[in-house]
Amino acid sequence: MTALKLLAALAAAVLVHLALMQIWPDLARMVDVFLVLVVLQGLGGNSLASLFVGLLVGLTHDSLTGNAFGLFGFADTIVGYGAARLAQRLVIQRPTGVLAVVGFASVLQEAVVVAVMVMLLPDPELPTPLAVALRAGLSGTIGMVVYVAGSRWRRGSETRRRNRMSRLRLG
Amino acid sequence: MDERRTGWVLIIVLVIQLVVLAVQGARTGDTWMEAVWLRAVGPAGRLVTAIPRGASGARESLRLRSSLQEENLRLRREVEQLRLRLLQLSDLENDMRRLGAAVEYTTPPLGRIRAVDVVYIDHASWLRSLLIYTGDLHARVDQPVLSASGLVGRVVTVAGSYAKVQLITDRAASVGSMILRNRRQGVVRGGGKGGVGLALDYVPRQADVREGDRLLTAGIDGVYPRGIPVGTVLKVGRGGQLFYEISVAPAVDFGALDQVYLLDHTPIPREVREAVPGDRP
Repeated sequence: MTALKLLAALAAAVLVHLALMQIWPDLARMVDVFLVLVVLQGLGGNSLASLFVGLLVGLTHDSLTGNAFGLFGFADTIVGYGAARLAQRLVIQRPTGVLAVVGFASVLQEAVVVAVMVMLLPDPELPTPLAVALRAGLSGTIGMVVYVAGSRWRRGSETRRRNRMSRLRLG
Repeated sequence: MDERRTGWVLIIVLVIQLVVLAVQGARTGDTWMEAVWLRAVGPAGRLVTAIPRGASGARESLRLRSSLQEENLRLRREVEQLRLRLLQLSDLENDMRRLGAAVEYTTPPLGRIRAVDVVYIDHASWLRSLLIYTGDLHARVDQPVLSASGLVGRVVTVAGSYAKVQLITDRAASVGSMILRNRRQGVVRGGGKGGVGLALDYVPRQADVREGDRLLTAGIDGVYPRGIPVGTVLKVGRGGQLFYEISVAPAVDFGALDQVYLLDHTPIPREVREAVPGDRP
């Protein structure tokens, strides 16, 4: 069930990314929906699963970019593992906490990508600090919105389930 | 699994990925892993492009219904003119062939072109690659890709009915080119000004290069045939002691591509292209 949910979330991320590319390419350049997915999964606290989810999501992202294949796979593996380890030590419940974690993860991802490019590619293309900050802010905001929406949906479905159960008991 | 073991798994996974990345180097070839991922992601891209395309197509057909007759007349006139022009060009072609035969000169065949749909353009990394849907007739690695206005790039990965195209604006791309006015050759590279333009390298300071000069493929790189428009010279800088620093505007507007053409051109075999003079066969 968890694997199915994850695949559905990945498919949704791919569709959102592709749709953004069609509708608003500048925004698509600034927002990393794949990173948001990796971090939100990592916040569950399972480091082994997060590591492999990061790898899977990163490779999917790689197949949609012109970068060397495996660059985002490598970075997202580290980000997924890092997010899970952080979630094991800190209780992150406030939406602003999620914003901060996703924002930090975005900076970490950029740093890893740049480091690997500098190591392996002859003439790497480096992002500007402003682009990194914008990307971190926007991805963090998107992460926070998705987190809040997910929490509300979970609470709503839980309330509906409880109401159904109480009506069954009364009947 | 305890955290210590997970840490080891992380290290192993990262090392494997680094090795794969290092072996792959600067994305130049067809990796089977990328092909597997492309097969999975390609249909999603096709679906997303089909929805707005269908909607805009329907809107367009409604809008154009009133002006169809006028459009039809104009197109008929244009077809007549083009037929006349084709006749003139056929005459010229025949003349050229006759003259060529007289001096035993054979031109390489240009090949046929086939229209294919663009599924996805990579805007995220400054227009460096695009994904195309080729249908049942699959593309081939190194196959040139064109648009109506000029050279787009070459196929780098093939995954069934999908293929990834490296645009000429990619920093790792290079095209053997020549200036149309004086046939002076150089190498056009991606990632010029702002990452989306092109640069013309290896043109010596003695050469005559002017702003506005048109560049065509020179047919010297073994991938692209001669004569495809590449771009226009934007600015000629002093550069180093030996060569000019030349900025080039691409002939193609990469942001507005929804269909491209695959050129069925026979490239020079890799072993011939990479053979070193003096090597034994």
